[in-house]
Amino acid sequence: MSKFEELTYYELLEIPPNASTFEIRQAYKEALSIYSSDSPISYSFFIEEERERILESIENAFATLIDAQKREQYDKRLVAEKKIDPSRVEKGKQKKPTPIFSTKSQAENTISDTIKKRIKKTELTQITEELLSKDLISGDDLKRLRKAVGIEVEEVFEVTRITVPILEAIERDDVPALPSSVYLKNFLRAYAELFHIDAEKVINSYLKNLDRIQGPS
Amino acid sequence: MAHILAVGGGKGGSGKSFVCANLGVLLAKQGKSVLLIDLDLGTPNLHTMVGVDNPKIGLNNFINKSTNDLSRTAVPTKIPNLYLISSTRCSLEVSNLYYVQKQKIIRAVLQMPSDYVILDLGAGTTYNTLDFFLSAHQGITVFTPEPTSIQNTVQFIKAVYLRKLKHILKQDGFTRIMKKIGYETEDGAVRSPLDIVENIMQMEPERAQMLQRELRKRDFRLVLNQYRKQVDEALGKKIEKVCNRHFYSHFTFLGNITYNERIFESIVAKSVFAEKYPYTPTCTDLKNITSTLTESAPYPSSEQEQHVQI
Ligand SMILES: Nc1ncnc2c1ncn2[C@@H]1O[C@H](COP(=O)(O)OP(=O)(O)O)[C@@H](O)[C@H]1O
Ligand SMILES: [Mg+2]
Repeated sequence: MSKFEELTYYELLEIPPNASTFEIRQAYKEALSIYSSDSPISYSFFIEEERERILESIENAFATLIDAQKREQYDKRLVAEKKIDPSRVEKGKQKKPTPIFSTKSQAENTISDTIKKRIKKTELTQITEELLSKDLISGDDLKRLRKAVGIEVEEVFEVTRITVPILEAIERDDVPALPSSVYLKNFLRAYAELFHIDAEKVINSYLKNLDRIQGPS
Repeated sequence: MAHILAVGGGKGGSGKSFVCANLGVLLAKQGKSVLLIDLDLGTPNLHTMVGVDNPKIGLNNFINKSTNDLSRTAVPTKIPNLYLISSTRCSLEVSNLYYVQKQKIIRAVLQMPSDYVILDLGAGTTYNTLDFFLSAHQGITVFTPEPTSIQNTVQFIKAVYLRKLKHILKQDGFTRIMKKIGYETEDGAVRSPLDIVENIMQMEPERAQMLQRELRKRDFRLVLNQYRKQVDEALGKKIEKVCNRHFYSHFTFLGNITYNERIFESIVAKSVFAEKYPYTPTCTDLKNITSTLTESAPYPSSEQEQHVQI
């Protein structure tokens, strides 16, 4: 366990040196859910004294990083010990790398989490099984699934970043308004995955249904 | 050479045989040839999971030397490409296999002419189970969200890890080192495997480096079965994280498998779940796990050669 104690507070909480207060709180909460005494994980992993040692490190890390003054001092020490690069500490200036496909802000992230949670909490077994046992899946079927959770297309957009006009086109089987097949497949996959249903099956049956609508060309 | 997967760990009833059977079906449906081997010696039931009633031949024919070719003890299942070597006809004493027999089985398994071999192991941490688990390219542990199941899984992982340490250090060195570091602490608690590595590190740094290198080659996969909505969705990921942090080996969480009452029905109906109910959330989970498993290249491992040496 000596290695664990050699970690910096940032490494311990698995956050970057320029982490925001929000990120620090989140990381601390996550660490507690793993290492606190009532977590089934730490209970199985560590003997009492090991766990207490780890928890103490976590508490120290949080208490230091959440306090601006203490954090500054700690950062200085890390820089002096060459454990972090000074340019990495400057909060605000040094932005975290932005993921290529997403320009979501923190707030949007929590909205999307709430939506995902809502989907998770809804009992969808019956409606998804019904849907997946069909040979052809229409936009209306997908819409019914969305309605069963009680979320709007705008909310689907929040999570999947598929624009509202395209979502509406998908749900209306509006062939002329639909994107080309490569994009359409990706969108259908994202849609299916949002509702935790078999994406391959949805894509196949949806496209099959479109073929039927369009008739022999 | 076949790719060997072993499914073990956790408690009895966590779903190891269920995962074996359904992984087998889904791989077979992808056109791969798959051989399931029931190595839950003493309490075999994989044949029931794949709907094979009363296998006429099985592992016993290999153990009692009536054939030297393990592949001839396999029987087909209702699913094309999926075969089974059952151990229903093994006598009960066989659960304490002799060392030589175990080595012979492991060597033969590596020669099987299929794309995949899946070993269904019993619960518990007997040497046989641990050695079969270690003989595979990838070891999958199946657990449920109950604290007791998690606890057993961690114990299993620790036992595998310790067994692996022993393999690497060979018998002599192992006992000597354990004595030297004091395997038990003053108050009698058994040291954790990580603690052991750290201690060896302090005393014999060269040996410790070799140990770490070897331990890194181990590739553990985790599956959380009988998942329900009330359960923390991130539980599996958290366990993965703790394992990667506190052991030297490599751990990957493959995913949750949703609890489904129809599994009971499908077993009663002697059909395999993934075949009978392909469009259920549970089957989607199984498919995702199968593709994560096959897409991720197995961690480099020279386990086989080593094993035969031991
Ligand atoms: N995801 C699941 N949902 C519901 N029941 C399950 C699930 N997985 C397994 N079971 C049930 O648990 C029982 C034990 O599973 P089994 O695979 O035999 O466990 P093990 O091989 O680990 O002892 C099975 O008979 C099955 O009915
Ligand atoms: Mg079993």
